[in-house]
Formats: sequence, C-alpha cells, structure tokens
Amino acid sequence: MAFSVDFYAEERKNIRKTALLVTLFYIMMAAFGLIIDFAFGMLPIFTAVFLSVATIQFLVSIYSGKKMVLRSLKARPYNPKNFEEKQLKNILDELTISAGLSKPPELYVIDNDEVINAFATGFKREDAVVCVTTGLLKTLDREETSGVIGHELSHIVNRDILIMTMISALIGAVVIIQIFAARTLINYLRFGGFARGRRKSKKDNTGMAILVFLATVAGLATLFSFLGKLSLFAVSRTREYFADARAVELTRNPAGLASALRKIALISKKLPTANTATAHLFIADPLKRKVNEKSSAFASLFSTHPPIYKRIATLENRQPEEVRKELQL
Amino acid sequence: MLIGAVILVIVLVLVFWFIGVYNSLIRLKKRVQNAWAQIDVQLKRRHDLIPNLVNAVKGYMKFERETLEKVMEARAKAISAQGVGDKIQAERELGGFLGRLLAVVENYPELKANENVKQLMEELTTTENKISYARQFYNDTATRFNTKIEVFPDNIVAGMYSSKFEAFPLFEIEDKAEKEVPQVDLNI
Repeated sequence: MAFSVDFYAEERKNIRKTALLVTLFYIMMAAFGLIIDFAFGMLPIFTAVFLSVATIQFLVSIYSGKKMVLRSLKARPYNPKNFEEKQLKNILDELTISAGLSKPPELYVIDNDEVINAFATGFKREDAVVCVTTGLLKTLDREETSGVIGHELSHIVNRDILIMTMISALIGAVVIIQIFAARTLINYLRFGGFARGRRKSKKDNTGMAILVFLATVAGLATLFSFLGKLSLFAVSRTREYFADARAVELTRNPAGLASALRKIALISKKLPTANTATAHLFIADPLKRKVNEKSSAFASLFSTHPPIYKRIATLENRQPEEVRKELQL
Repeated sequence: MLIGAVILVIVLVLVFWFIGVYNSLIRLKKRVQNAWAQIDVQLKRRHDLIPNLVNAVKGYMKFERETLEKVMEARAKAISAQGVGDKIQAERELGGFLGRLLAVVENYPELKANENVKQLMEELTTTENKISYARQFYNDTATRFNTKIEVFPDNIVAGMYSSKFEAFPLFEIEDKAEKEVPQVDLNI
C-alpha cells in the first residue's frame, strides 16, 4: 500500500495553521477595538474588552471544552466489566500502539443503541477523548470498530481536534461580542439611549453615531461568525478524508472502515443529543442532514462531512456513483 | 566588514542546520528504540496469558492435547530464548501454534460461549494485535529513520556519527503462507 501523504507534515501544518489562525484573530479583534476606541476617543476600553473576551473564550474552551461536549452529548466513561466495552478499550489500546501515541485517549460511551457514530475531542493529544455510541458496539464487528477507532485516533494524532477546538473558541468569542452589541443596540433603541437628556444638549449627533457604531459591531460580528462557521465546515470536511486515509494506514485494512461507514449510512439513526455545535466532531453527521450527502457547490459550502458514498468509494477504490446506487441514497 | 558579516551569517546558518538535523536524528532514533521496547512488553503479556488460556480450555479439548502441549512447549522455549535471532525464531513458532489453538477453539461452540474463555480469547486476540501493531509501528519509524540517515544532505551529519546512527533492521513477514506471492511467469 502506497501513501503519497506525509502524515507527519500534515500534523505540523495543522499546528502552523492553528497558530496563524489565532494570530490573525487577535489582530482582527485588536484592529476592531482600536478603530472603535479611536473613533470615540475611549482608548483602550474596547480593545481591552475585545481581547479579553477572546482570551477568556480560549481558556474556557481549552480547559472545559471537552467536558462541555461530553456533558451535552450525555456521554459516560466506559465500563471495563462489560465485555463489549472492554473489547472496545482493547481495540483503542491496540491502535494507540499502531499510532505511536504515548498514552491511549480516554474512552467514553453514549447510551443509544440505535445510533452508530463516534467522535474525538480534546485540546492536547495527551488528554484527548474518544467516544462511541452503544449502537456502534452492538452493530459493528472487531474489524469495523478498528476502522472507526483508527479514524478517531487520526483526528487526535493529526491534531485536527486542536484546530477544531480553536475555531469553535474563535466563533464563540465573536458570538459573545455579537450578542453584546445586538443587545445594547436593542436597549438603546427601546429606551432612547443612555443618559439622553444630558448628552442631547451638548452633541446632537452622538446618539446617531452610537447607533451606527453598535449596528456596525453587531453586523460585522454576525458576518465573522458566519464566515467562521463556513471555515469550520470546510476544515471538518477536508479532515475527514485525511482521517480516513490515516485510519487505513493505522489498521492496514480499508475494508473494515468502509464496511463500518456502509452500516452507518444504512442503519444509523439521528442522535437526539447532538446539535449543530457538536455535529462536525463526529465520524458521520449525527443529525443526518441532507446537505451532507449532496456534492453541489452550495451544499459543499454548508456541509460538515463529505458525502458518505464518496468516502466509501475512495476506500474501496470504486466509482462514487456505483456506491451511491448501491446504498440507494 | 561586510564580508565578515556574511561569513558569520553563513556559519551561523550552518551551525543551526547541523544542530537541527542532529537533534531530529536523535529524536527519531529514540522513537525507534521506544517502538522496539513496545514489542517486548507485548510479548511478555502474551507469555503471561497463555497458561491461563490453556488451563481454561484443557477440560473441553480432550482430543487436542497435542496442540496444547505444543503451545506450552513453544512458550517455554520463547521465554528461555536468548539473543535477538533466537527470540524472533521462538516467538515465530509460538505465534504459529497459538494461531492454531485459536482456530481450534472456533470448533467448540460450548467452549466459545464460556464467559471465562471468551474473555481470555479477547485478551489474547488484543495482545496478538498489539504485537503486530507494535511491529508495524516499529517498521514505520525505523524506515523513517533509515531513510533520513541516507538522504542528502542529512546523510552528511549522519555520516559524521556513523557509529551512533546505524540503520535499524526491519521485521519481515513471518508466516510462509502470508509471504508467498502469486507466481507470475513472464516467459510464456
């Protein structure tokens, strides 16, 4: 089996991208704050506020992002006394060796027999988490589970989880500013501004300026969070192919993952605890959104995962249309 | 003055390049050694598990005494083996007999359903997988190291410390049946 992708270079690229992304974001926030501060002569209030919002958001997502995700999905730690879950742990340990990680990620389980899905999250490699549904344990055999776990481990080894956590944190920071600006704007419109009487006599156009300013902040923040989400989708989409390829490299077996994806496409149901904030983490879209199965330019802009039939076709080295017909999607 | 500065910059660049290559070679070498150690850990685990499995299946498999004896014999040989060559040979034999034992167990439905045996089989399967994954990882890292010490210009640094950076041997496919490639005759 020959691979033209240098996975070690991929991993370095992800770290560089993350650093670049964070730097750009900070520059953007600082510029944003400085413009406002200079326009209103309030240096350094807004610059400081924006930068601290961004920093707090980072720290929160680094230290408790993992826990928040696991809680929102109602995941629990695996139970070593259960045979199937012990087997899953064994598979995880095996592939950890194959990936050359120093320590296996923590293992969590979502109790839902109807859903076949899995995800990985965390910030560092050393404290990453792999989580699967009980449906996956019951439906997939050892070989297929290995494929899925290999895929999730690749996200950890490639540091995809790092870049994903970062983008989520950045979007979170922008959303906070967006909400803050929008709320102030609404309050201003409703109650006619802060301390209106006093200001009116001095400067008539101050009110108007504040209004325009708040609208601009809210508008720009909305635009940025929208662009941020699109970039998150794009990153998530391209990473899936890489993770599939690396899962094959780890397990030396494309058939297992392909067969697992097939079962996910055919049998798996929607995961009720998943939402748009966590959907991109999973191996296949847990919300089963139609947009992920289309490949038009518009659909691929908004989809979090590449179409599953294309992934199976890549793994099985066949024509995508052929697989699509077979799955009747 | 200017020439001096240029020379200084070039020397500095060369020194940093040298340090970079040397350190990355050391890091890779450590990684290969760690991968090698992983294999040993799993082999030890394999040895520890075998007596338990043999005891658990003994009662059921009256007609397979020979297989069980051979497994135990091979285990004893593997434990006492000295030197890398002997070790590899003994483990290869043990692996073969174990594979046969696992296949035989498949023929006994009541044995397979036994909770104790089921768990032991799973433990042994995972250990066998870990051994092969550890070898796979060792081979991958060793290949990366072996390539790095030979490609230009890194081979200059590696050559300067040739006793420190020697190519690592790779694990070859052990099973003869696996190794056999379909014969292609081109002299038709």
